Amino acid sequence: MRQNSIVPVIAYLVLGAGFVGIMESGAADVFLEATRPDFQKIPVGVLEFKSVMAPANAAERVAEVLKADLRRSQIFTVADLVKLGIKVDEKLELLDGAQLPLFKQAADNGVAALVWGKMATRDANLVLDGYVYDGGTAELLIGKRYVGAPSTLRVMAHRLADELVSRYTGEPGIARTKIAYASDQRGGREVFVMDYDGYAPRQVTADGFLNLTPEWSRDRRSLVFTAYRNRRNQTIDLIELATGKRRTLVALAGLNITPSLSPDGRYLAFATSQDGNSEIYTLDTRTNELQRLTFQAAGDLSPFWSPSGRELVFTSDRGGGPQIYLMNADGSNVRRLTFEGDYNAAPAWSPRGDWIAFVCRSQEGQFKLCLITPDGQKRLQITTGPGIDDSPSWSPDGRHLVFSSMVNGQSHIFMINRDGTEQERLTSGGTHHSSPSWSPA
Amino acid sequence: MDTHSRMAGLAAAVGLLLVLALGCSSKAIQTASDSSTEPGVSKEPRVSEQDLLGKSPSAPGQGRQSKDIAVAKVEPSDAARRHAEDIRRERVATAIAGIEDVFFGFDSWNISDEGKHALEVDAQWLKSNPEKMVTIEGHCDERGTQAYNLVLGEKRAKAVRNYLTELGVGTGGLTVTSYGKERPFCEGHDETCYQQNRRGHMTLRVR
Repeated sequence: MRQNSIVPVIAYLVLGAGFVGIMESGAADVFLEATRPDFQKIPVGVLEFKSVMAPANAAERVAEVLKADLRRSQIFTVADLVKLGIKVDEKLELLDGAQLPLFKQAADNGVAALVWGKMATRDANLVLDGYVYDGGTAELLIGKRYVGAPSTLRVMAHRLADELVSRYTGEPGIARTKIAYASDQRGGREVFVMDYDGYAPRQVTADGFLNLTPEWSRDRRSLVFTAYRNRRNQTIDLIELATGKRRTLVALAGLNITPSLSPDGRYLAFATSQDGNSEIYTLDTRTNELQRLTFQAAGDLSPFWSPSGRELVFTSDRGGGPQIYLMNADGSNVRRLTFEGDYNAAPAWSPRGDWIAFVCRSQEGQFKLCLITPDGQKRLQITTGPGIDDSPSWSPDGRHLVFSSMVNGQSHIFMINRDGTEQERLTSGGTHHSSPSWSPA
Repeated sequence: MDTHSRMAGLAAAVGLLLVLALGCSSKAIQTASDSSTEPGVSKEPRVSEQDLLGKSPSAPGQGRQSKDIAVAKVEPSDAARRHAEDIRRERVATAIAGIEDVFFGFDSWNISDEGKHALEVDAQWLKSNPEKMVTIEGHCDERGTQAYNLVLGEKRAKAVRNYLTELGVGTGGLTVTSYGKERPFCEGHDETCYQQNRRGHMTLRVR
């Protein structure tokens, strides 16, 4: 009897472990396809879009946004069709077999896919028909019609771009993701949300004082952030973006900072100083139960969940200066991850699980971005220059990061590829934009 | 109070509640009608999508798209003006009382001899004005991360509070907070400014 009862338990454990293993390696495999060092980007050509009584430049603008999205995706390269002499007859209504020479020309030049579109007006709306053809066979792979107000032109291009990414990688694209951040506005620092390419900033709070470090919920409906509503007490609040509805999650005595929601959305990890110095806690948002995870005389802060939700990475100065540590989600198994340099802080775990980004102090004494693998085996610095870099946050596809960088007191938000290439400034105007957080896809 | 006036009061209260409720719901309807999207969601105009190839959403590579993120428009408030006014009044009150700030070394929350001297002056005043409420704000220079500087600022503010307590000031009127590197006093980017910004700033509360 005794043995019988043990067998199912063991079987369950083995099956459970196996299941988890499959889930994880499955996700990792998809990732490897497009992130291996030898991954060849897919050359795609964007033909001149046809304008059918559309507002001036609308067809050109939508094609330009699309090209920028495709380039940024890190999946595609955008071929210069003009240089290749590939041009579509502007009288055409639809590309088809009759244009085979065009496709042959594209294929001969290594262009794997051709994108063509028509922009028209219907009532007060724009109508975009987007087509994607296989460069070699001329097979029509994607045909989509988008209808929306003229102000949605960029969204239409983003949708078509995501359609291409999804078609070629099986992953959701990032062109319609958003970035939450804090920005100085009329004497206060407020929470804002903008498109992933820096367009369409939208103000979320109007508290008039100090709001910091917004972080997304997994369902992308809400942000959690630190709010100084009365200048003395900091609370951690949650705001629902679509309605503006807001509630306070944490109002303990002392500093309540650096919130991070678990991948399943249930637990909020944060730092509070209610015990005298900054310690990391989790809040079960269903039961309102608090669990203290760290017990140190030093400062523990900036917890960030692993993609599995089983571990947390955080900053602690228990060894003197700030360093990055790992622990299990229940506070056990604490180990130090960074040993190089005397200042490592603000960790963010890639949604792929393979890297942790953080702020490091370079040999020149500058605060820059570094990456380290969770096993500590590989470490690299990905930004250089004089800016004070802060608050790295990963794109949901794990290929990019956003961060803030301050030069001469002006803080702006930048996007950069994971390998440190193609740094792009996203914010314009204003003088202080900080703590960016990239939404899930 | 007789039954009639009680009933009248109740009716008035119910009426007021109704007005409030209607006021709220008409606002909600207004928000919804401004958008061409789902009711109650933001004013962000939506893009509709149609598959020209007649593919079902479950076709390979399809259906992986999530919805657009809707963000409601925030109403402007005069909160910033009120905060600024409070800060101005506190500055004046603090200056009149002669309460001094304390300055710190890089990455340090140790109180220097100079700082101790300033706090002895502050302690004298606080002990003779025990009813006054003081907020001790910890501030940092711009180097390092926002989050770590918030914690550092709090260590500074608490070091100030602890020294004042040692000097016999009651803790009841003292509140500590930290603004990290977020509200610098000096806007330059060299050590002259940095040392101005590494401070425990005392503010006399005015409300």
